[in-house]
Amino acid sequence: MDISALVAQSYAANKTAAAPLPDTTRPDGGGNMLRDAGNSFLQTLQQSEATAMQAMTTGADPHALVTALAQTELAVQTAVTVRDRVVEAYQEILRMPV
Amino acid sequence: MTDFSEAMQVAASGMKAQAGRLRHISENIANTDTPGYRRKTVAFAQEVAAGRATGAVETGPVQLDNSALQRVYDPSHPMADPSGFYDGSNVNLLIEIADAREAQRSYEANLKLFEQVRQMSTALTDLLRR
Repeated sequence: MDISALVAQSYAANKTAAAPLPDTTRPDGGGNMLRDAGNSFLQTLQQSEATAMQAMTTGADPHALVTALAQTELAVQTAVTVRDRVVEAYQEILRMPV
Repeated sequence: MTDFSEAMQVAASGMKAQAGRLRHISENIANTDTPGYRRKTVAFAQEVAAGRATGAVETGPVQLDNSALQRVYDPSHPMADPSGFYDGSNVNLLIEIADAREAQRSYEANLKLFEQVRQMSTALTDLLRR
């Protein structure tokens, strides 16, 4: 039996096995959720920057400034933690013995 | 909007309301010797947005204390009437100091809550780190 035919056959089988399954749970795929999270994070940051600038220049309410900064701190902490976990998982995949 | 950030905003609204109250108390104390001055008070009210109470607090309109003004005897005062008396203010320093102390305590309570919410949210995210 020709070995190249066998290789081609198993290669083709592998290709379909390794292909990502179409996501049927969400109609628009998982990208939108990530984008929404990123947008809301960006909005929090921009809002706090605007509040900080107002507090410095026009003397806005210091309570609003503190609230905005605390919320930004919370958002940044969450984002950094999630990023760390993602990078860690990626490295774990890279270290997988093949 | 998570519960954490909402709790932070409510606590901040409480601090803001107490700061406004303290402002009017300091106005009263500053005007203790102003003739004809009536002490100002503010009532607290629930903040309403789109017909629903948000849970936050805000200061209502300023009200004037209508109790009798203090009669001060000073015939040389330009505002003195024929009997030698003129109307002072109706500020009682003892009440103002007590009110200021109460505002301070309430402010501290809100501040403590704010700090606690922050600690809780930080502890929650710290769970993900090892």
